[in-house]
Amino acid sequence: MDALIEKLKGQIIEQLNLAEVKPEEINPDSPLFGEGLGLDSIDALELIVLLEKHYGIKIQDPKDGKTIFQSLRTMAEYIKSQGKS
Amino acid sequence: MGETARHYYLRKHNLAKAYINGTGCISPQNSIDSDWFFDEVHSPKGDYFEAIEPSYKDFIAPNLLRRMGRAIKMGVAAGNIAIQQAGVKNVDAIVTGTGLGCFEDSERFLLAILDNDEQFLTPTSFIQSTHNTVGSQIALIMKCHDYNFTYVHRGFSFESTVQDALMLFDEGKDTILVGGIEEHTPNYILLNRKANKFQVREPDMPIWMSEKRGIQMSEGAAFFVLSRNKTQSSLACINGIQTLYKPKNSEDILKKLHMFLSSHRLTLSDMDVALMGFSGDLIFDEKLKSLLPEIEKETTAGAFKNVCGEYHTATAFAMWTATKIIERQQLPKVLAISAKLPSKIKYVLIINQYLDINYSFTLVSQC
Amino acid sequence: MSQKVYITGLGMISAIGNNVPECFLSLSQSKTGIGKIQYLTTRYKDEFLAGEIKLSNAELADLVGDQNPALNRNSYIAMLAAKEAVLNSGIDTKDGLRTGVISSTTVAGMSKTELYYKDLFKNDEHLDVLDTHDCGDSTERIADYIGNVDYVTTISTACSSAANAIMLGCRMIKHGHLDRVVVGGVDALSKFTFNGFNTLMILDREWCRPFDENRKGLNLGEGAAFVVIEGENALNHRKGKALAELIGYANTNDAYHLTASSPEGFGATLAIQQALALSGLKPTDIDYINMHGTGTPNNDLSESKATVAVFGNQVPKFSSTKAFTGHTLAAAASIEAVISVLSLQNSMIFPNLNFNTPIAETGLIPETTLVHTPLNVILSNSFGFGGNCSSLLFKKA
Repeated sequence: MDALIEKLKGQIIEQLNLAEVKPEEINPDSPLFGEGLGLDSIDALELIVLLEKHYGIKIQDPKDGKTIFQSLRTMAEYIKSQGKS
Repeated sequence: MGETARHYYLRKHNLAKAYINGTGCISPQNSIDSDWFFDEVHSPKGDYFEAIEPSYKDFIAPNLLRRMGRAIKMGVAAGNIAIQQAGVKNVDAIVTGTGLGCFEDSERFLLAILDNDEQFLTPTSFIQSTHNTVGSQIALIMKCHDYNFTYVHRGFSFESTVQDALMLFDEGKDTILVGGIEEHTPNYILLNRKANKFQVREPDMPIWMSEKRGIQMSEGAAFFVLSRNKTQSSLACINGIQTLYKPKNSEDILKKLHMFLSSHRLTLSDMDVALMGFSGDLIFDEKLKSLLPEIEKETTAGAFKNVCGEYHTATAFAMWTATKIIERQQLPKVLAISAKLPSKIKYVLIINQYLDINYSFTLVSQC
Repeated sequence: MSQKVYITGLGMISAIGNNVPECFLSLSQSKTGIGKIQYLTTRYKDEFLAGEIKLSNAELADLVGDQNPALNRNSYIAMLAAKEAVLNSGIDTKDGLRTGVISSTTVAGMSKTELYYKDLFKNDEHLDVLDTHDCGDSTERIADYIGNVDYVTTISTACSSAANAIMLGCRMIKHGHLDRVVVGGVDALSKFTFNGFNTLMILDREWCRPFDENRKGLNLGEGAAFVVIEGENALNHRKGKALAELIGYANTNDAYHLTASSPEGFGATLAIQQALALSGLKPTDIDYINMHGTGTPNNDLSESKATVAVFGNQVPKFSSTKAFTGHTLAAAASIEAVISVLSLQNSMIFPNLNFNTPIAETGLIPETTLVHTPLNVILSNSFGFGGNCSSLLFKKA
């Protein structure tokens, strides 16, 4: 799980062009949206594509992103649960 | 012109002026520095004239910056500088002009579609590719809920913003941000080069005497905070603007110019400087070349595209230049076509042409 | 200071017809133009529906009567709709009055650029797309097709574009800059916009369901619509006939998000209120609203809330006609302006197709069948990316 979280950090920074953010600054349990990293709804759509591109997971309803993208950990758990790590 | 139009045309002209209270200009020159006045003038490297961009972190928050293409960055930064100089907190309208829009993002999204056979696409570049992104982004940052238009008509893109602002002042608005933005990508430059649209200018050949085909394409952003009434920070005044679509010949242009000036109760001899949009292309410049002797008979002629290059919204750079000329009461040598320089500068007329299709007159004056 | 401004000519090409009479027939027969993708080249053509114009580019070129290879789909349909509007109005652009063309588009020549962009680097065959890709191209083609045009400009404010073109034309007449203007918008369907909206996950795979609780998104369409607007002086001068009066307009900005509308529809509320204020009418004077109603969860809720904010518990009859035409982006507002004038002229409200269940939060129910009722004033809304919100008010002439 930790390895997957570390991998995700790098992928998120790249996908969302978070040039100012260092991987070690992202807490796996802080919220990705609103506070924490301060991501927004456009980023959520970017993360959906990230899951499709890197993990072959297709999300059809953007509303599902709300629970999956709560934090890095929930994201990693979701990937695991889909058997795609 | 028919009776109906003439009636309204004449009635209109004691109407709105716009005072320029703040400017921000990103161009191939060091115009971002408010003290720069054509002292050190860069020449293009080869056939393209790239904008000199500032460090955007000084003007735009990092969480916004991470998504922005160059056009958006240039526009938001130039807008920000103009607003700061004018010392206003908000505006009653935001009106932008751009010929090609956010081309970098358009191209990025297009190439992603073509390279990945329409798969794994993300929305960011699509969202940012929309032509009104700069105006919208400024509205978002300023929380401006008012009028927000974007004009996208070739060599009329910036002219339309000023025309609109003058009407908005008549309709009761007080403060308006207008601006022109253009960016090009390496691919776009390469393709235009392939299509033989460019020329490498000979350094000693003045742009208004060029006998070659091709332009020196460039890019930039210039923004202006305008107000209906004169304020303490007013730098200059826009008396009027008019566009001409495909004029037949230089006589036609001259006739319309006389009409334009007379509607402001002025003549060509009242002009202290006339900045002309010579692009260096033999064919596109033909009408302006025929016009030049007529202009020089009455006033001092100048150029500006030898300094800023050619792009859809080059008139925005010319308007910034006119403002500076009035402020400094001096026509920089590098712009002068006529030998005799004016001693006192009240009126600066801009006569632009874009690809010999879009012509415009802009009258800027001391206030 | 100002004279009245009238709509005197209509022109439209869309998924529901190649001209105004054909479009009117489809509207009055509740016949949608949205179906399986036939003309657009996309890997998703069996997965999504679209409101395509049922003509190939070659057929469009024949209709326009110009085989110039530099013309693209955007120009063809713009030229056809603009010419129809001019002929319908009966104006003569050679009579010495000042005529303008104010058009609008979002992706302009993209439908052609995207076919050849990669080839441009390899050979010289299609380098002309460099000259026809931009938004100004179709506007200048319209101007030259009509002839004797004194003024041209183009607006691009995403999906509210044509409303702003109409508004600008009206203001230019009121300010005395022009006597009459051909105003409207155009957008040909492209892989670019199709994939763009798909990445935003706001496309419905079935027919769109504006204002339905279970709506999933929009169907994209393509089209062009133009109207001729004239000042009363110019109209009286040539003893022409008015089809409707343009009595109010407003443009505001939501300033909430680059694509999404604010949950409470703040910008939309402002636009409707300001258009009403300009016309001097009260909310109760509105007989029907042609909604923006794209069918996306976000737009329809936000627009419903704005409607309630302005009209309270006296919401006029309303419908979205996007389930007929699809969302035609820059052309949407001018297509809906033509539809609004047809409604006024024929005392008909065209139905909001595919509606079943009202949105729980607002409970608003659109007209779902063709309604015959006298109409005096119609409000038409159009909203776009970048928070751009525009409202227009049309009055029976």
